[in-house]
Order: sequence, then C-alpha cells, then structure tokens
Amino acid sequence: MIDGALASFLEEGLSIHIGARDSRLQPSGARAAAVMVASDGREMVVYVPDLAASRILPDLEANGQVAVSFGRPVDDRACQVKGVVTSIRKAEPAERAVITAQWQGFMRQLELIGIPSDLALGWANWPAVAVRIRVTAVFEQTPGPLAGTPIA
Amino acid sequence: MSPSLETFSNCFQGLLPAQLFTCSLDGVPNAAYLSHVEYVDAEHVALSFQFFNKSRRNIAENPRALVNVIDPDTGQGWSLQLLYERSEISGALFDRMALRIEAIASYCGLKGVFKLRAADVYRVLSIAPLAEECGSPRGGVSQHAAGLDPVFTVRALQDLSNRINEADSLESLVDSILAGLEESFGFRNTMILVPSEQEGVLVTIASRGYPENGVGAEVRTGEGIVGMVAEARKPIRISGLMRGMLYALAMSKAANLPETTLRQRVPLPGLPNPESQLGVPLLVRGELVGVLCLESEIPYRFHEEDKKSIELLGSYLAIAIQNMQLQERAGDVGDPAAPERTPVANPPLSSEPGSTATPREVTYYATDETILVDGEYLIRGLPANVLWRLLNIRESTGREEFTNRELRLDKSLKLPEWKDNLESRLLLLRRRLEQKCPDIRIVPRARGRFALEARGRVRLTTQP
Repeated sequence: MIDGALASFLEEGLSIHIGARDSRLQPSGARAAAVMVASDGREMVVYVPDLAASRILPDLEANGQVAVSFGRPVDDRACQVKGVVTSIRKAEPAERAVITAQWQGFMRQLELIGIPSDLALGWANWPAVAVRIRVTAVFEQTPGPLAGTPIA
Repeated sequence: MSPSLETFSNCFQGLLPAQLFTCSLDGVPNAAYLSHVEYVDAEHVALSFQFFNKSRRNIAENPRALVNVIDPDTGQGWSLQLLYERSEISGALFDRMALRIEAIASYCGLKGVFKLRAADVYRVLSIAPLAEECGSPRGGVSQHAAGLDPVFTVRALQDLSNRINEADSLESLVDSILAGLEESFGFRNTMILVPSEQEGVLVTIASRGYPENGVGAEVRTGEGIVGMVAEARKPIRISGLMRGMLYALAMSKAANLPETTLRQRVPLPGLPNPESQLGVPLLVRGELVGVLCLESEIPYRFHEEDKKSIELLGSYLAIAIQNMQLQERAGDVGDPAAPERTPVANPPLSSEPGSTATPREVTYYATDETILVDGEYLIRGLPANVLWRLLNIRESTGREEFTNRELRLDKSLKLPEWKDNLESRLLLLRRRLEQKCPDIRIVPRARGRFALEARGRVRLTTQP
C-alpha cells in the first residue's frame, strides 16, 4: 500500500496531524510527533503526544476512523493516509529515539522556512501513545488541482 | 466563547499553515492543510475555497469543522470549533482574501492563475488552547528578532510630523518620510512609488535601505505587492511571504504550469529574501498619489496594529505629498521673489576630477522616448523628453538656468494641463542622473528654478 519511497518521505520528519471524529461527526485533531510505516506498507504507527491524547483517543477508541496528514513545509509536498485504528498503547522508551529524530527533522524544516525552532520549545513530543493503523487509502495532498487523487 | 476571537488575528497570518479537520457524512475523518484563515468578525472566520477538494465536499455534507492554528508570537496552538454558515463570492471579505492570493501569486509571476472560488464563512463555536502546542515566552517569530516591537508612539509620530513640516521640496519630503520611518519607527527597508505619466505604471521616486536606490524602477498596476496595492487601492500585508510563495509554486507545479522564478520581472529595489511586506496606497480623496511599500526579512514583522497605523499614516503622507506637488507648482513662476531652497551641498562640477574626460554620448530614441548615455539606459518617457529638451537648449544657446514654468509652457513636451506631476518627474530625472551619469546633473536653485550642469563635453544624437 505504502511503497518504500513514500514511507521514507513520511518518516523524514514532517508536519504530521491526526484527525478523528465522534459519534455526532464532530471532528477532532491534534499534532502527531512521528510515524513508523510497517515494512509491508499496510500498517503504520502514529505517535501522539500524551498531552493531546485525551482529546483524540476517546474518538479513536470509539469508532476507529482515522486520517493522518503529512506536510513538508519547505515545498508543501503533502499527502494524507486514511485508515482504521487496530491498537493503542503507550510508546516504549525504545521508540523515543525514532520520535526525537523525526521531530528534529521537522524542526529543521521550520528553520528552512524562516520559523525559529524556539517557536516549538513548548510543543510536546514525549511521552506519547502509539496508535497502530491499518492503512485503507493514501491521497495526494500537495496544494493544487491534484489534491485528493489516490496515490496508493 | 472565551477568549475572544479578535485577539487571534496574529494566528491568521498564514505564517504556519493551519490544519483543517472535517468529516464526511459516512463518518470518515479528513485532515488537510489550510493556507489561510481570515478573521471576519467577533464570531466568524473565513476559509479560502480554491479547489473542490475533500474538505469542501465534507463541509457540504457535514458543516462541522475544526481548525488548529498557531500564534506566531508565542508558539501557542489553538483549536477552533467551527460550523459552516455560508460562502461569499463577492464583497469586501471575498476581495480581501482574493487580493492576498493574487498578491502572492503575482510575486511568483503566477498572477491570475489561482482563483479564489469563495470565502467560506464559519461560525466559531469555541476556542481552546492546545495542550501539546504550548506557547513559550521566547518562542515567538517576532520576539526572535530583538527590539522590533511596534513603535507607533506619539513621540515617533510627532518626530515624523516635524520632518514632514520641515521639508521644503518634494525631494526632501519623500526622503524625510523614509528616514522618519526608519529612525522613529524602525522600518528599515522602504520605498515610495508614484504614478508615471504612462497609464497603469508606477515609478520609484525614493527608496531607503537597499544597496541600489532603484529610482526609476517601474511597476505595472497589478504586478507584485506594489502593483496590487495600486490596483486595489487597499493596503496589503503579507507575512511569511516565503511560505506563501512556496505554496503558490507547489500549486503551479501540481498544475503543470510553466516554470517560473521567484524574481520579479521589474528590477525594483528589494530585499533578496523578503518575508513580510506591507503596501499602503497613498490616497487623497480617492486619487492615488503613490504607494508606500515596507518590507522585512522577518517573517512576521508587521502586526495588525502596524498595518492600521501605517494606513492612517498613509493618508497623512498622501496629503503631504500632494500638497508639496501643488505648492511647488504654485511657486514655480521662477521669479526672484520665489523662496530660496535649502542650499545644495554639491560642489561645482568643474572642480571635480575628470573634467576633461571623453565626451558623454547622449542618445535620444524618439520612438521609445528613451535616453541612453554611452549606450546605457538612463530614463524614458516624460523625464527623458525633459532632459532632451534641456540639453538641446543648453547646446544651442549656452543657457544653463531653467524654470519649471517654461517646461510647463513648452508645447513640445506635451505635459498635461492638470496634474502634470512635473516635480516628481524632475526628481526622478535628477536621481537617475546622480545614479547613472553624475557628469550631468540638475541642481535646484530656488522653488521652480534649477540649473542643468554638465562636466566636459556632451554629444547629442537622435535616433528614430
């Protein structure tokens, strides 16, 4: 579903957001810190800071519907992954290095567009929960007329 | 609803993309980046609708939405729960949002390519801080650049007002305005453009803070931020210009449009990497006297209060410039009673080295009304015609002293009878000569009187 090249893009340190919704179809959403794409490309783990978890986990647990958007600030390349949540657990200390590396990549992206990384001094990336997702669709989301086109 | 929406204008500058969450009627959530959230009133925001994307389709089915924005001053994230109410396809809100899109697109040479289809207006149901995006007292983009707080103090305004009152010519007026904007307000990179005699063209008459003074650089109405301000006659403020351009370029690539560069076609004075721009029309009773443009390499330099203050200031500056133009015209009788001007500090040309240099080749191209000096472009249009006339009189009669009045009465120059803006044309000519051909210069003598001085020989040639 997600090939190696796309997985590398998703894991390079991007601006990541996770979206959900409640039973009344009210959307909820939060910034995510990092992702790990499974080797077969059919699943991914999204790391959501604990501080955001209370806002979005109840919706994810209730209906499992999830959308994850990825954007690279320096060129606005973007895509969106749709899926269904298969499990939610606390992120292990061993996973922190991956989260930190991707977070630093995101900070470098901000610097490249003239936003000092000091801006994000108060943004949380740890501790986090690991939301495992079965990927059902991937869409192009780079701004423009092709946004919304399925790419996987 | 607390806190109030009015206090969130900083978050709506597009410095960091906002995030829009929607949900389809069959329960599938959607997360997408938004280029622009616009403050509408105390209870509403508007989102730009440019493409028929999934978010837009979701909203048509389910009007509930969530937008997360970040305050560039603190880094604090905020979550706005929204309910879609209506779409506007004309009116002040639509125009404001469309203008911003057009200004950025124009900067990238993509004007007219990306249209705003509608300004989608949402009621804001609640605003809450995001716990995972907590603000930091030293995290803000504007705090990052030390000492750049808004400085619209009464003292600064008084200082600028004094400078304006002391100015005794259009030249000293525009220079003192730009000097005052830097010294009293901290705006270091500024320029003033005025309408040229050619319809739809503005020309730079003063700039400050750039290595090249750029006087004479032209902008067509609708081109770049200056041209857009002139066209719309409304102020435009852009923060995070690089982000906006990247967004526009990403769209152009996605649409397989021809490659463009980030450079403007017109060589205006400008910062290599401007991040914030503020363009203000200088209007007097609806007439465009000029455009004042301020820019900065800091992504969020011009705050809402800066924009409002500069807008107010713009009206005052416009009146001052127009008054000076009218005053100079009224006093251009060239009689000896006309008040003397501040003495010009330039030494006589004959005392400067190189007086015996090879003759300057001044060529007038009649069809284009353009003058080249030693093969290099100097000036075109009315200022070129004026210079050509002066040089020819000087050559045939030896006369070096002239008056504005005789230029106005000279039918060959075809000056409009009303509002000829001769003073700004002479200022432009004077500065272009200083920049490109200091051997020939125009020296003010008294109000409405000036001398044309030339060092060494000048050879005049006409070309069709």
